[in-house]
Amino acid sequence: MNISKRTKSVLGSILLPVVLIILWQYIFSAGYIASAILPSPHQVIKTFIIHFTENEYSFHIISSLKRVLSGFFIGIVSGFLFGLFIGLSRTAEKIFSPSFNAVRQISIIGWIPLIVMWFGVNEFPRIIIIAAAAFYPIALNTFAGVRNVPREYVELASVYGYNRLKLITRIILPSALPSIATGITLALGMSWAMLMAAELFIPTNIGIGTRIQIGREKFNMALILVGIITVGSLGFAMTSIVEIIAHAADRGRILRKEI
Amino acid sequence: MSVEKGTLEIRNLSKSYVVDNNQLQILKNINITFPSGAFVSILGSSGCGKTTLLRIMLGLEKQYEGDALIDGEKIKGPGSNRGIVFQDHRLLPWLTVGENVAFGLDKLNRKEKKLLVDDHLKLVGLSGFENAYPSNLSGGMAQRVAIARALANKPEILLLDEPLGALDALTRMYMQKELERLWEFEKITMIMVTHDVEEAIYLSDKIVIMSSRPGVIKKVIDIPSARPRDRASSEFMHIKAEILKEFHLGTEYPFAYAI
Repeated sequence: MNISKRTKSVLGSILLPVVLIILWQYIFSAGYIASAILPSPHQVIKTFIIHFTENEYSFHIISSLKRVLSGFFIGIVSGFLFGLFIGLSRTAEKIFSPSFNAVRQISIIGWIPLIVMWFGVNEFPRIIIIAAAAFYPIALNTFAGVRNVPREYVELASVYGYNRLKLITRIILPSALPSIATGITLALGMSWAMLMAAELFIPTNIGIGTRIQIGREKFNMALILVGIITVGSLGFAMTSIVEIIAHAADRGRILRKEI
Repeated sequence: MSVEKGTLEIRNLSKSYVVDNNQLQILKNINITFPSGAFVSILGSSGCGKTTLLRIMLGLEKQYEGDALIDGEKIKGPGSNRGIVFQDHRLLPWLTVGENVAFGLDKLNRKEKKLLVDDHLKLVGLSGFENAYPSNLSGGMAQRVAIARALANKPEILLLDEPLGALDALTRMYMQKELERLWEFEKITMIMVTHDVEEAIYLSDKIVIMSSRPGVIKKVIDIPSARPRDRASSEFMHIKAEILKEFHLGTEYPFAYAI
């Protein structure tokens, strides 16, 4: 058989979800669990279609997407700059690193009451906590990437008379790219995780999280599952996009260690 | 004082480190002249300070007593009049072969760069590889690219730090021939650090033998033999035996006198 590598990997990634859905349908059909506890896949799809067509579900999706993306971008830009800064300067590392490491042990959810007290119940604190969640992994991975640039490469640059700016743009950043890409992927995951917290703990009427909340209040399990599946699919899609961009930027195939 | 271009002189050079309040002498009273256009090898076992000496010539090491002069001028730092080939090829994995060769050619415009890159890839026998990435190359090919990168800068002196040390035995012998060809073509001074006795005899006009702790020059041997040299000739063997004796590895052959 002549199946391309790409087709194989796509088939591989949908195999598990398909098996789970079949199993789910089987459990439902066999009548093991009441539909109030676990609705059938068919019911979930029906709920999904109804909410999309009648209840402006797409509006909620777009609102949540905006939240995630705003927080994510603020987080990765500031986290990248911070990681680069403490990575390049030993003095900056000494000053900032201990406090940073202490602060990041505190769950961001723990900050929510304080942030709400300061900024009120509105969009700003929601974006801020998502940004904070994205900040840590990108800062840590950028820092690690910058610190792990092989000494030999830095030496090579000094042999060829590279100045500091050229050293950073031509040696340090390309060399740290795989680590930075890992940081971005992790940051994206954290952003989606924190979206749920932002929408549930800082009350609002708009967003996928609020739909899940309404599902709970109305005991509508199908609506809860629609929310969960939507978040999962969007998160997966965005992670894939990030990976595609990272691989395109990764010249010389440092990321792709193909066997 | 006028000297021919590409002459390197080391005068009364000593270097020591302080480790745990103990003075550790690395190099002691080194005096060598590397004549313009000559191929000189510095031969010694590991720890004799030969790599430190090369780093001083390169301009990466600046703390020492005595003088290191190029064309009569004190070495202040790395400069484009010296090229270097390290034991590891040290090609940047995110740059193509062509971009790696152009690593030190920033001052030139695109056309001049391309010309020099093409010329030097042709010189090392790798025409057509400019768009390949280092990960696609074998060890010998990667080292050829590293040599092309060093030569593209048009140095007066090429420093070679165990350049063939990481290659297998056959590739190594082949590359020794290649180095000789390049040296004859470029007509520049080449200074090679090595611990391979045969390699030193095959390539050098002059071999500087160093011994360890502290690194001192033990003996300087001139090799006037015609090139290319025959590794199996009695003259070659004789020089080899003479050098090995310096390292206390000489063997007595009583039968040799009986023939």
